[in-house]
Amino acid sequence: MDLSLILTNLLYGVTIGSALILIASGLSLTFGVMGVLNFAHGGLCMLGAYFGYTLVQVTGNFWLAMILAPLIVAGIGILMESFTIRPLYGLNPLYQLLLTVGLAMIIANAVLLFWGGDQLAITLPVYFKGYFHFWGVDYPRFRLFVLLFSAAIAVVLWITISRTKWGIVIRAGMHDLETVNAFGINIYRVFTIVFAIGAGLAALAGVIIGSMRAINPEMDFELLTSALLVVVIGGMGSFRGAVVGSLLLGITDAFGAQFFTGAAKFSVWVLMVVVLLFRPEGLIKED
Amino acid sequence: MKGRLTFFIVLAVLTAFPLGANILYSSFYVSLLTRIFIYALIVVGFDLLAGYTGMISYGHALFFGTGAYLTGMILKHWTPWFWPPLLLTVLASAVVAYIIGYLSIRTREIYFVFLTFAFSQFFFVTANTLEFVGASNGLSGVPKPIIFPGLNLSGENSFYYFTLVCLIAGYLLARLITRSAFGRVMVGVRENEERTKFLGYDTRKTILRVFVVSGIYGGLAGALLAAFNSFVSPNLYHPAISGEIIMMALLGGMGTLIGPMIGSGLVIILGDILSSWLAESWMMILGAIFAAVILFSPGGVMAIGRRIGERLRKGRDHGHP
Repeated sequence: MDLSLILTNLLYGVTIGSALILIASGLSLTFGVMGVLNFAHGGLCMLGAYFGYTLVQVTGNFWLAMILAPLIVAGIGILMESFTIRPLYGLNPLYQLLLTVGLAMIIANAVLLFWGGDQLAITLPVYFKGYFHFWGVDYPRFRLFVLLFSAAIAVVLWITISRTKWGIVIRAGMHDLETVNAFGINIYRVFTIVFAIGAGLAALAGVIIGSMRAINPEMDFELLTSALLVVVIGGMGSFRGAVVGSLLLGITDAFGAQFFTGAAKFSVWVLMVVVLLFRPEGLIKED
Repeated sequence: MKGRLTFFIVLAVLTAFPLGANILYSSFYVSLLTRIFIYALIVVGFDLLAGYTGMISYGHALFFGTGAYLTGMILKHWTPWFWPPLLLTVLASAVVAYIIGYLSIRTREIYFVFLTFAFSQFFFVTANTLEFVGASNGLSGVPKPIIFPGLNLSGENSFYYFTLVCLIAGYLLARLITRSAFGRVMVGVRENEERTKFLGYDTRKTILRVFVVSGIYGGLAGALLAAFNSFVSPNLYHPAISGEIIMMALLGGMGTLIGPMIGSGLVIILGDILSSWLAESWMMILGAIFAAVILFSPGGVMAIGRRIGERLRKGRDHGHP
């Protein structure tokens, strides 16, 4: 295996991983703050891809899709949170989880109803087509954009969580809801906003992923699985865990596909089992 | 006493049911009921784990698939007899359940849900890739198995009775388990695991045992399904099937054995009616019903029934002082 092959896989893995950060951090954030493991998260991501597709089809503007699709899905997220998840706060968290299973089914079928079961693809602007060549590596331009864009979003997110007043409220919410409430902050509004951000991030990743590969109504569980794997490997409810887990998963997947063609997906499961055996709480434990 | 009477009446009706086929109703309903029995079997197994010990698995379809593939392969390539695949299914399901259970029950609640989900996704991916089990095309042409010399399950009625017997046996065994001392430990784990542990029970071992039993139920249901459909699809491992299993149990009422069986019937009959109206989007309606049940009646049909029963009794008491 020569250097260019290693570099190609590494770049590919990091690119996929960086898009995964957007999905996994949303999932991890809602879990960390609200205690809700959202099984409809993959569905929200898929909705982002489909809305992105339609918006590009209708307006011909990729950037409009990148802005509007996440906003629409964030709006759907707000509706989901206020009408279905909120009534269940205070009950066993498993009820919320099971509810999101029902929501995932509804989303999957709504997609099938409106867009049909065919494979679709988002058309990219001309300037994203083509490759960069260096050290024998062909790196698609769009992938470089994905890498930089996702990294930028992740940095903004990290700064928001670690440096701003909002971030303090969110982190405090993870630790002690009652105290936050006692300080006069409406924790339910925080929940709604966090859920909307999670949904929007998932949709943003949906548009990006939908531009790199085919969109189909089966992708929701695939994406959910990847995001959940990331969260389990990285550590539940931890933003740093989501970043580390995403990159690790992306790279493992890329190299796995290189080494074991045909059984491409197995390497990530091996990774999960290994992490579980030695660190059941994930690689990074937030304190 | 009343419960036993109801049990025998239901049993009598179900036993007599195929006799009316093609006279009173189409024989389609016999096969519909057979399908309900098969699902009821896996759901009762699921309920032992989820309803009694409180460990919700979102990967139970994994056992469906395991039993179905094993049985399909054996019936197709080795022997037309049903007993070897059934026996091997029990063994294989137990082993698979032990390994997955061992890894998953290090965690609780949501983490457990996710891990079981992840493991079933692993099987889903595997079944879709492995060429020798047909990859994404699945396994077709599984022959109808023989159970006794001269009796194979090709007839609709023979399959109906065989699954009915399996379901009754499964139900009675589950009843025996839940009413035993072990069953009380199971409920103890659900209600308060810490306290149960302090009482000197190895709660982890308890859950692992239930997980294995539950897996065997699922594997056997899968074996029946493979022979019934003459076809095994990798979609048996799909998370949607695991979701349906949870839905059946929840709709009927978890932690009761009768409820989940009623739930299986409801979901399958509802699915049948809705899919003839709405083609593929029936799952959407089912999802909405599921969400509504969780929001408004987490105890499922059994809880609604109990509430109505209580109200009636109260009404009667008021009427006759």
